[in-house]
Amino acid sequence: MTEIIVVTSGKGGVGKTTTSASVACGLARRGKRVAVVDFDIGLRNLDLIMGCERRVVYDFVNVIQGDCTLKQALIKDKRIETLHVLAASQTRDKDALTAEGVRRVLDELIADGFDYILCDSPAGIEKGAHLAMYYADRAVVVVNPEVSSVRDSDRILGLLASKTQRAEQGNGGVKEHLLLTRYNPRRVASGEMMSVDDVKEILGLDVIGVVPESPDVLAASNAGVPVILNDESDASRAYDDAVARLLGEDLPMRFLEEPKRGFFARIFGG
Amino acid sequence: MMTKPVEAGAPAPAIDIRFGQVGLIQVRIRSTEPGAILDELTGKVASAPLFFQRTGVCLDMSPLGRDPQLEEMRAVMEAVRRAGMLPVGLVGGSGAVESLSVALDLPVLAPFRPQTQTIPVVQPAERVEAANPALMQHQPVRSGQRVYARSRDLVVTSTVGAGAEAIADGCVHVYGSLRGRALAGARGDISARVFCQEFRAELVSIAGVFRVFETLPPELAGKPVQAWLDGDDLRFAPLTS
Repeated sequence: MTEIIVVTSGKGGVGKTTTSASVACGLARRGKRVAVVDFDIGLRNLDLIMGCERRVVYDFVNVIQGDCTLKQALIKDKRIETLHVLAASQTRDKDALTAEGVRRVLDELIADGFDYILCDSPAGIEKGAHLAMYYADRAVVVVNPEVSSVRDSDRILGLLASKTQRAEQGNGGVKEHLLLTRYNPRRVASGEMMSVDDVKEILGLDVIGVVPESPDVLAASNAGVPVILNDESDASRAYDDAVARLLGEDLPMRFLEEPKRGFFARIFGG
Repeated sequence: MMTKPVEAGAPAPAIDIRFGQVGLIQVRIRSTEPGAILDELTGKVASAPLFFQRTGVCLDMSPLGRDPQLEEMRAVMEAVRRAGMLPVGLVGGSGAVESLSVALDLPVLAPFRPQTQTIPVVQPAERVEAANPALMQHQPVRSGQRVYARSRDLVVTSTVGAGAEAIADGCVHVYGSLRGRALAGARGDISARVFCQEFRAELVSIAGVFRVFETLPPELAGKPVQAWLDGDDLRFAPLTS
């Protein structure tokens, strides 16, 4: 049974691709067969974050247009055997995606026996974002604790509840999860940033993970290693918890409070 | 909104039916003398041609104080057209307007409230409609969504998000927080009210009388609140338990 999960947000720059890459790695590390598909046609990023940009020969649009087979386009991750990447096309635009084409590729991935298909949605609510969510069974809505991101997520949740196949067919709709990223407990405490509870209350949904703001995320992106693979990082542990919760585990939330600084750190800064 | 539905599975529908509000200019007719109408309107159009040229207008015959004849109406419409405006409807009210609308093939638009004191806005027929069971909305009304309860109350058991619209011809009840817009009495029922459990609204309107909340008054913010129409004034008060 394959589950299709869309990672979406409405707003750009909140961490959709970072989340897609880390959640895909996290699921694959737990032995699941995972395909992660970049729907951001024309602004290909996922392959960079996954560190396979130099191995992209064929892409999603090539498969849709029949230039190659799905097998030729799927890039096997070098670190985790069960993880595969389908890159977006950098040279086309979003009109190259069609509903039938997307359906065909997803069906082929399902027939191939993948456990999870992660759809990394582009920002916005246009065609690319619509097609990324249309066939989803579940949605991870990535949100930053600030008002514009929360507003856009509310909009996306409205679309998930109305413009998806599951919503149209009325079979229970898409299961929605919130994932907070760039969470800074210190700024929350000082009232500069919305808290987890604020976001939960406004959007009326449960939170599947809270990823603290961390320099490791940028470093990981630049290195092409999804941040979840950096075991030293809080962001990695937070993503790993989120993956566990996606799989049904019940874990307490971590990293909601500022880490206590040691005596010497307080004296000498750092 | 997504303007172009993407072809997914079934062919895209040829039409979308949406509830939308547009501002519309009213021409209140005090005399059916076509010459006088043409003269006055031509002057107005010339004063702001970009604004008035080919603009849709609806004709309000109530200031005339009597029901015009069909031929009279045709002459009035011709005068309005020659002045450069396009009649798109009649303001409703009496039964005569209904029959004129059929003969002229123009829709009857709901009466605009403040201008039509002579016509009772709440008609007996709407009283009966108010007995309709409320439209229940158990899912949150999300930003960009719009829920409309036609000829009845709207009950939202969840929240109305910022940028969302909850609209009813009757009352609007929100048992979560109201962060978006609530419009009660959408077709002119001045007795309609808005109730909510947690007031954080952007806009509240009753029978077209509205108030925008750029900042929330501290005595209302976050509280259970009701809004009602007192004459032409929109009033708000916390619901005391």
